[in-house]
Amino acid sequence: MKALPRLLMATALAATPTLFPAAVAAEDLIVGFTLDADTLDPANHRKRETETIIRNMYDGLLTRDANMLVVPEIAESMTQVSATEYDFKLRPGIKFHDGSEMTAEDVKFTLDRVVLDNGMGEGVTSPRQGLMGPIASVEVTAPDTVRITLKEPWPILPAMLPNQQIVSKAWVEAMGNEGVATAENGTGPFKLVEWRKGDAVILERFDDYYGGAADIPPVGPACVDRVVFKIIPESASRVAALLAGEVHIINELPAFSIAQVEANEGTQVMTVNGTRSFFIAMNMEGEYFDDVKVRQAAAMAIDKNLIIDKILGGNAAPIDGILSPAAFGASELPSVGYNPEQAKALLAEAGFPDGIDVTMDTEGAFKDTAEAIASMLTNAGIRTTVAVGEGAQLSDKWRTKGAPKSGDMYFTSWGNGSLDPFDIFTPTHRTNDRGNSAGYANPALDALLDAAAVELDVDKRRAMYRDAEMMINADQPYVYLWVPKDIYGVSRRVTGWQPSADSRINLHDACLN
Amino acid sequence: MSLGKLLERLIQLVPVLLGVSLIVFVMLALTPGDPVQIMVGEQAITPEQEAELRHNLGLDRPMVERFFLFVANAVRFDFGQSFYHGRPVAEVIAERLPATIELSLVALIVALATAIPLGVLAAIRKNSIFDRMATVGSLLGVSLPGFWFGILLIMLFAVHLQILPVSGRIGYASEVPAITGFLLIDTLLAGDIGAFGEALRYLVLPAITLGLPMTAILMRVTRTSMLEVMRQDYITFAEAKGLPRRRVLYRHALKNALIPTVSVAAIETGSLLGGNMIVETVFGWPGLGRLVVESIFLRNFPLVQAAVLLYAVTYVLLNFIADILYTVLNPRVKL
Amino acid sequence: MTDATLAMPARADSLFRRNLRDFRRNRLAMASVLVVLTFVVMAVAAPLIAPQDPNATDLFRRLQPPAWVQGGDWAFPLGCDGLGRDILSRIVYGARISIFIGVAVILLATGVGILAGLAAGYFRGWVDVVIGRVVDILLGFPYLIFAIGLMAMMGPGLMNIVLALAYKEWVIPCRVVRGETLAVRELEYVEAARALGAGPRHIMWREILPNILSPVIVVSTIRMANVIILEASLSFLGLGVQPPTASWGSMVSDGRAFILEAWWVSTFPGLAILLLVLAINVASQGLRDAFDPRFSE
Repeated sequence: MKALPRLLMATALAATPTLFPAAVAAEDLIVGFTLDADTLDPANHRKRETETIIRNMYDGLLTRDANMLVVPEIAESMTQVSATEYDFKLRPGIKFHDGSEMTAEDVKFTLDRVVLDNGMGEGVTSPRQGLMGPIASVEVTAPDTVRITLKEPWPILPAMLPNQQIVSKAWVEAMGNEGVATAENGTGPFKLVEWRKGDAVILERFDDYYGGAADIPPVGPACVDRVVFKIIPESASRVAALLAGEVHIINELPAFSIAQVEANEGTQVMTVNGTRSFFIAMNMEGEYFDDVKVRQAAAMAIDKNLIIDKILGGNAAPIDGILSPAAFGASELPSVGYNPEQAKALLAEAGFPDGIDVTMDTEGAFKDTAEAIASMLTNAGIRTTVAVGEGAQLSDKWRTKGAPKSGDMYFTSWGNGSLDPFDIFTPTHRTNDRGNSAGYANPALDALLDAAAVELDVDKRRAMYRDAEMMINADQPYVYLWVPKDIYGVSRRVTGWQPSADSRINLHDACLN
Repeated sequence: MSLGKLLERLIQLVPVLLGVSLIVFVMLALTPGDPVQIMVGEQAITPEQEAELRHNLGLDRPMVERFFLFVANAVRFDFGQSFYHGRPVAEVIAERLPATIELSLVALIVALATAIPLGVLAAIRKNSIFDRMATVGSLLGVSLPGFWFGILLIMLFAVHLQILPVSGRIGYASEVPAITGFLLIDTLLAGDIGAFGEALRYLVLPAITLGLPMTAILMRVTRTSMLEVMRQDYITFAEAKGLPRRRVLYRHALKNALIPTVSVAAIETGSLLGGNMIVETVFGWPGLGRLVVESIFLRNFPLVQAAVLLYAVTYVLLNFIADILYTVLNPRVKL
Repeated sequence: MTDATLAMPARADSLFRRNLRDFRRNRLAMASVLVVLTFVVMAVAAPLIAPQDPNATDLFRRLQPPAWVQGGDWAFPLGCDGLGRDILSRIVYGARISIFIGVAVILLATGVGILAGLAAGYFRGWVDVVIGRVVDILLGFPYLIFAIGLMAMMGPGLMNIVLALAYKEWVIPCRVVRGETLAVRELEYVEAARALGAGPRHIMWREILPNILSPVIVVSTIRMANVIILEASLSFLGLGVQPPTASWGSMVSDGRAFILEAWWVSTFPGLAILLLVLAINVASQGLRDAFDPRFSE
């Protein structure tokens, strides 16, 4: 009696594919992606994932190649006229997806929309204003030239410009902010077919594409007819979809799945150096970590290489300062090394011969790693309990911008998408800055960071960051851990694509065999 | 049901909705984590920019004022702008709602379609091996943690056997016109049988995962009420009159036995709608539950408030429907 | 009159015994009780049973397979998790957490639910209206979303999980108790006690409560099974117990990421949940059959 329904069910299941043959999606390149876009408005988003999707429809004045080199895209060339003035000559004949010609006015409109207070109209200021630094004005100086004038020298302007995508003035004004949030009209290689919210963003090739950055071959229309960003938040499901051939590229492949993806016929693993530095903040206002010896003891207690090897599958670069090895100004630094015995001795010297009891805060995503670190610390006399908190609560607790903080240790990270020290070194180490969760205060370092931020001489600037790294290497306000690689699972049918260090997935050059 | 009763029910809705809004509001107010700080993340921002952002989001007003503003706007179905989407919350929720409703309804249908026959059979063959197995089976159904079971299903059907898809709602080859938002209906309206079948294939695993506990509950209810009805005088009488047993069972007994099943199903549908964020996450189903959970973590206050209100209204309405069904199916009950 | 009040407990008592006898005769239910008891003993005697320290990490044993699979080791019979901790030992210790959460939530919820339900059912009037409104409002919230919101508000921690679940859970026993109280309060013996001058407190605790306890117990055991699953769901959403302690729910949810490479990490704790919850459910089904004949044949 029970067998019958089950048999029927099994037959029905097996029959569905034949009864309803699924239409064959020959040329859809499908990306299994962690998060949906919040909005398609290039001026109104806050997440990296959103930018990744938008970036396939919209191009910027400048872009980065896979090695993070900044190259012109919509701009034909960039000329620095003075310390505070940059001229951008635009490529001719660039079309928006609606067929209209892109002009210098559109570029000015785009940047004004981001930079000005109330720039988006309707009382709204772009949340991306902060990314654009001290821009004083944007002017059209010739039909094909735009000049950006800064209030003060800001050498990383070129590194930050790839984050802004050019919109059409007429179109945005006609659509209004809410219209721009769900539709698109960019100059990029793909145009929007359909956005199934929470499920997928479907794009198709824009045949009138101008070709993209001249420095990143091949130049021309995109290789595939259509691409789909399919949202699969659960990592096991994402890997399963890749193995089942349902998707062709997945992001955030967990390190422990590497072997499986490599072993599977038809899929491979691709990695690229990441830009996010991981570290442990030690509360220097607290009772233990005000002493540099205790901080050094913590650094010595952790076997970074073992964790990189075992948990991260070897896919991370150890660091002894805040900067990623690939960042501007990064250099070889002295390392305290792994030495639990000496850590114990240092603790005793600091007046804690019996060790100390501390708590280490972290987010759920890093629980495993934090627990592994905690047991290493415990072995060296820093008896550590891991407390998993929610991101929002933890940033309230630790990123206090100078207000008093509680807690002992905080396992966290800071991104550095531009690979310029400016947007990682200053926030995490300048006194009372927004990411300074250690409560570190060093006036000499503050002065150095401020000077380096506006130094135009590249070599001098590099030397200044080297000095800054040496200072924090000695003071150890954080235990500097590693910069993980970004890991992708990729179908062997995909050619012409490689992962990019800024975590973007640019599909212009990708082909599907 | 009289018009007066109906009106009374609707009036009862008001304090419930006010209470729900107040609790959500107070909870969100007491929750640590500043929406502005989460939004800004690692970006640089001047104090002026931060104040401006706070003002734009309406977070610079006192709590009490914000609450009354929310209620006043909610009455006009204006729930404000989502912090992250740059669009009205109502619009964002409306986009996600059809997926959730479709999954829940299909799960409900699957549950009813399996639970009623199994429950009736178990009752008719009371204490047989089949009955025992069905009992244990139904208890098994409510004892499985949904996310674990869902992942096991993916492993088996999508990765090893590769007969069903891992994740999502439909493939991308077919373009489905957005008429109702329910893919099963829209594909049929478009006359695209292939796409209909595809949508069905994507539904199988999440619907089973979501519907299994409900199947178990409904089966128990059906079995119990069937047994009860079979003991009633009129059934005994009908059998004594010499009517064929089959006819007695299906004509008379089943109809009455289904009353509790149907009303329990209506109420349980409420918990399906509110409890499917787990299934939605595992199967990458683009529904509302996932969005609400994400919004709680991101402190996207307007979205959470509106969604919870929606859940409350749905719950009250479903209970109401359960009552009506009860009256319609069983004329002896007067409400 | 005196006879009636005296006779009642005796009647209830013999009924209870008969019910218990019925229950004992249900072999499946008894087996389930045995399973539940085994888990309880396991939880209590965890240090004696667990072969390893449940929190001792060893990265060299990361994702080591179960003993009978190639690469396994009988010192770690069910294999190791992502930090090289012994899964069997973690399951043994995890029983403490999972059972504690189930029991604590249900005790708390049932206690509050009985108080509120008795008050609502006995006093009726505005007390009933107020409690009824609160119940309606809480029922309007989806269970998990309410719990997630509370966890976000209160922050992590074992007691906070218990509270987050109990805040809504009490509504269920409350409704049962209220309904039963409404039915029982009009019965003869209660009338009699009232006529004899017994105060409301005496009537509620001594006359009504003992006679409505059966359905409350039945409902509570079913709900306990449910609470264990709910805790697992909270863990799945990243709001579970704090490390290094493991609840079964957190073990399944942490291990789910490895399911393609190391099935054992989430499967064994998943089976543990399944077995315990199933046993509780079967036992409570037996209880219901024996003690609450209205619901069974």
